[in-house]
Amino acid sequence: MVDAARHPKIDIRTYTEVERVEGFVGNFKVKLVEKPRYVIGKLCTGCGLCAPVCPIEVPNEFEEGLGPRKAIYVPHSQAVPLDYVIDMDNCIKCYKCVDACGKLQAIDFSQQPKERWEEVGAIIVATGFDVFDPSEIEEYGYGKYENVLTAIELERLHNSTGPTVGQLVRPSDGKTPKNIALVQCVGSRDARYNLYCSGFCCMYTIKNAVLLKDLYPDIDITIFYMDIRTPSKGYEEFYQRARERGIRFIQGRPSVIVENPESRNLYVRVEDIGLGRAIEREYDMVVLSTAAIPRHDIEKLGEAITLTRDASGFYMEYHPKLKPIDTPMEGVFIAGAAQGPKDIPASVSQGSGAAARAARILTSDKWQIEPIVAYVWSDRCWEAQGKKCGICVDKCPYAAISIEPGKGAQVQPAICHGCGACVAECPHNAITQLHFTDAQVIAQIHALMRHDPESKIMAFMCHWCSYGGADTAGTSHFEYPASSRGIRVMCSARMDTDFVLEAFRKGAGMVLVSGCHPQDCHYITGQQHAAKRFERLARQLERMGISPERFRVEWISAAEGAKYAQVIREMDETLRALGPEKIHEENEKVRPELERRLKHLSQIPHVAEVLESEEKHAELAPA
Amino acid sequence: MPNLRQLDPNFSKEVLAEPGGESLLLCYSCGTCVSACPVQWMNERYNPRRLIKMAVLGMREEVLSNPVIWYCSACDLCYRKCPQKIHISDLMRAFCNLAQRGGHKPPRVAARVNERTCVACGLCAEVCPYKAIELVNKRVLGQGKVVAQVNEFLCMECGICAASCRSGSIDVADFADQDLADRIKGWVEGDLLPVEAQYER
Repeated sequence: MVDAARHPKIDIRTYTEVERVEGFVGNFKVKLVEKPRYVIGKLCTGCGLCAPVCPIEVPNEFEEGLGPRKAIYVPHSQAVPLDYVIDMDNCIKCYKCVDACGKLQAIDFSQQPKERWEEVGAIIVATGFDVFDPSEIEEYGYGKYENVLTAIELERLHNSTGPTVGQLVRPSDGKTPKNIALVQCVGSRDARYNLYCSGFCCMYTIKNAVLLKDLYPDIDITIFYMDIRTPSKGYEEFYQRARERGIRFIQGRPSVIVENPESRNLYVRVEDIGLGRAIEREYDMVVLSTAAIPRHDIEKLGEAITLTRDASGFYMEYHPKLKPIDTPMEGVFIAGAAQGPKDIPASVSQGSGAAARAARILTSDKWQIEPIVAYVWSDRCWEAQGKKCGICVDKCPYAAISIEPGKGAQVQPAICHGCGACVAECPHNAITQLHFTDAQVIAQIHALMRHDPESKIMAFMCHWCSYGGADTAGTSHFEYPASSRGIRVMCSARMDTDFVLEAFRKGAGMVLVSGCHPQDCHYITGQQHAAKRFERLARQLERMGISPERFRVEWISAAEGAKYAQVIREMDETLRALGPEKIHEENEKVRPELERRLKHLSQIPHVAEVLESEEKHAELAPA
Repeated sequence: MPNLRQLDPNFSKEVLAEPGGESLLLCYSCGTCVSACPVQWMNERYNPRRLIKMAVLGMREEVLSNPVIWYCSACDLCYRKCPQKIHISDLMRAFCNLAQRGGHKPPRVAARVNERTCVACGLCAEVCPYKAIELVNKRVLGQGKVVAQVNEFLCMECGICAASCRSGSIDVADFADQDLADRIKGWVEGDLLPVEAQYER
């Protein structure tokens, strides 16, 4: 940390919050709010004369409340920068510290929060984690029994810079405990609180046990665990060493901890799985290895930067295997426990990776993006005409669209990922996606449905999953009927309801809409928009008079080649069962309604030409 | 040692299909239920974790003919603490239902109603925590009469009905008023009755 602080190219801003982030990759603007320290950093030498004269003592957060601190303090002795700060919630403004500071005049009670905007090229979010509060778990009695501690509290209790200067004592009577129970998985791997495994508790518990065994060779240590998880390099050997040192490992999750009110010792009741019997033992001290949970302000920062979060509440990476450091926001990276609980080596690796990914951006003059971004025809946009709409802004999973007064919706191409959700959702057809324009897709529909459409299946597929699924079906030689005709778009969100209606107007026998499974969608919420849209459309089609089995929506992943083949087989069977006459009859019946609904198509730029040339084709075609 | 070839691989599916048995496969054997269980405290043979493991393995007969599956008192102390939110009392009920259909009976004597003195006030049916008692029409001594009837599969021998019966018409085996009086006498005088010794851990 000290090295980083001295580095000419590293600027550390402590006690500062990120309020807002604007812009895009390479050109971010960040609004920072620097909270007042009431001590001028440049003048404070960290001499420490102010703290002893301060009359206020409050629990020290760094010591987990086990020791005191003054109202003017440094968070801990290795803090960078080593500047004092006044805790205004507890300061009584006696100004004794001002006198103690003397000629340095480093204390300034008039400081106010400072707002400022900074320009940066890339952002790395490494905000870490919080620790689960075990007092929620009634049966363990944390907060009720003094000698039940968390592992972090234990760490402070045997740390030589801790509140007891390295002496392990139990809080109730200050005596050194003779036997300690360490309980694993407190608040993690527990469906009542957090389902995930925090991952590093097994190792730090074993570390604590070995350390205590070194400090107090006679101490009796028992670790209660469900599973010991030590999968990294050298970890299993460390676990082995702990066993050799005589640390007792008992498989079993304690169901209750009860205090003896006289001795303040604790009875732990647990089933020893190896033994197959419930046992109860008395301990001087019980230490709970608590879960790592997302930071309390993770949501606020996530909203400022537009970061998504996973089911556990941690920041979501762009892809769990291939882009574990990137986020859906290009130029924003995540590292460490902000992405999910992880230990020090993993955090260091991810931090280094994030720095390298960020350097790639900072050293480039130009940044290449896929040429498939959305484009707004301002003359068609309602917002440009002063009418309220804003649907595209709501639907964009990346917050790439903003409304500018007079100009209408504006797409920021550097943020746009090209899913096409806005294109399909725009009720006024004012947005298009380059290389996937309405005209292009409709021309494809026409070409594929030109001959004998009643015996064909029109399949719309998303680029990442279902197109991959169809590909897998082919490369794996899964047989399916040759009646399907596919059109690829980037995401199921791009599939306009007009495409389905146009396919039916052209006489398609069946229409399949397919995309990623909801959790696999490569465009965050793209699949969800599509799912909602086609659920609605299915009802409308049925009301119009199209048999419900003729329109199908399926979520198929790239690995599910067999499922794709199965879906096409089933649809082909249904198609044959219905027969071309029935389909033709249905199509003729709904044609006027479809034509009425598709009247607006010719208004969309370039689509009219496509429709015209298709009519010519129809005239030229042999009867 | 269970012979793996004799295991019934479909038994776990059967349990999963039984109402209450849906969460069978979620258990990861942490043993919280066992050490939380007051029944286990009194009788070590009742080990819900082991029963779940046996069912997952497919030890059909060993589970269904095991008398301990009927021991769960549905106090749900384990359910509150289970990290997988498995409703163990429901699971045990599912085992019992399968056992009953397989022709097994609970290893206990249900509460007995003295039908001659029962006045069908319905108090016992109301207080029974297991809904094991209902009022039925029966022929008693050649005459039609409404009396309380105990469902032997549901009765847990708790004795709440016996204590609440105003006409003294219900008794629980070994815990009739006279038995209890004898036992208190035995405690005072210092020697255990045979029935008491049976309940020693």
